[in-house]
Amino acid sequence: MGVIGYGLGVIGAGLAIGLAAFGVANAMARQPEVQDRVFTVFIMGSAFAEALALIGFVVALVVK
Amino acid sequence: MEAFDKLPSEINHLVSEFVSIPVIGNLMSGITQYTFWMIISSIVLLVLVFAYVRRLSLVPHGIFMNAMEWCVQFVSKDMGKQILGPTWKKHFPFLATLFFFILVNNVVGIIPGMKPGSGTISTTAALALVTFIYFIGVGMKNHGAVGYAKSLAPKGVAFPLNVLIWVIEVISTLLRPITLAVRLFCNMFAGHIVMGSFALMVTLFAEPLLQHVTASSALGALPAVAFAAILLVIYAIEMFVACIQAYVFTVLAAVYIQGAEAEGH
Repeated sequence: MGVIGYGLGVIGAGLAIGLAAFGVANAMARQPEVQDRVFTVFIMGSAFAEALALIGFVVALVVK
Repeated sequence: MEAFDKLPSEINHLVSEFVSIPVIGNLMSGITQYTFWMIISSIVLLVLVFAYVRRLSLVPHGIFMNAMEWCVQFVSKDMGKQILGPTWKKHFPFLATLFFFILVNNVVGIIPGMKPGSGTISTTAALALVTFIYFIGVGMKNHGAVGYAKSLAPKGVAFPLNVLIWVIEVISTLLRPITLAVRLFCNMFAGHIVMGSFALMVTLFAEPLLQHVTASSALGALPAVAFAAILLVIYAIEMFVACIQAYVFTVLAAVYIQGAEAEGH
């Protein structure tokens, strides 16, 4: 059950990181000179989204 | 597939190995395996930094000097000037200490047989708490205690909403150290669990072949090759994650400091 729950939860994080990458690719294609700053924002956004998935991972492992 | 039947118990055993176990003394006043590797990585960091400072020159020579110069410039440019603006020089020592400490800890933990100092919630919580106190201190120094508390709420919002937003901002500020600590810890913990599970798969599938070599056991060991390939890929990703997490932690610390310094938002 825990594994199924984790799979469901990770959909959100996957979508979030996908959306972030989509936005970054768009922004970089439109304005290549802001690459550095956009990259920083992308890494931060992905870290926020990824943290949720990781918390789910640890909870799924710890709570049986 | 008896290899898969053994997997759950082996994974439980793997997870139990990540619990802090004292190597010297007891859990209250001793050194756990995480603290031990943290001390080792601190020594590595000190040696690197002193070797760097001793050979400091206007024009860097050699691979080592250029690499260190690039790292320091990365912190000062990407995290300092870009996020903090003109006051970056004041906060650079703190940010650089955070970045290099976490980076060396993570990278030492990636080496097989070693543990990351940042792989336990206690270390990351300590780092997050230091960051929290630092940016609160910066805010109080810049605005005064009452002024900083007031500056959490954005200006130009009508009266009743103002209070509500202030409460939300205070809660989000108090949550910052928790998210910082949990993010770094979970990344290290989860990454090592994933690497460990794939290493377990390799050993479980290769075990029959090592005991007695026959045609059927050789065929059964074929998935081990695929799992070893996946393990290598995950190892590479983990190396990337070790650097990215040090970067994320430091960037977030810089953003929080900038928020404390700014004139209301």
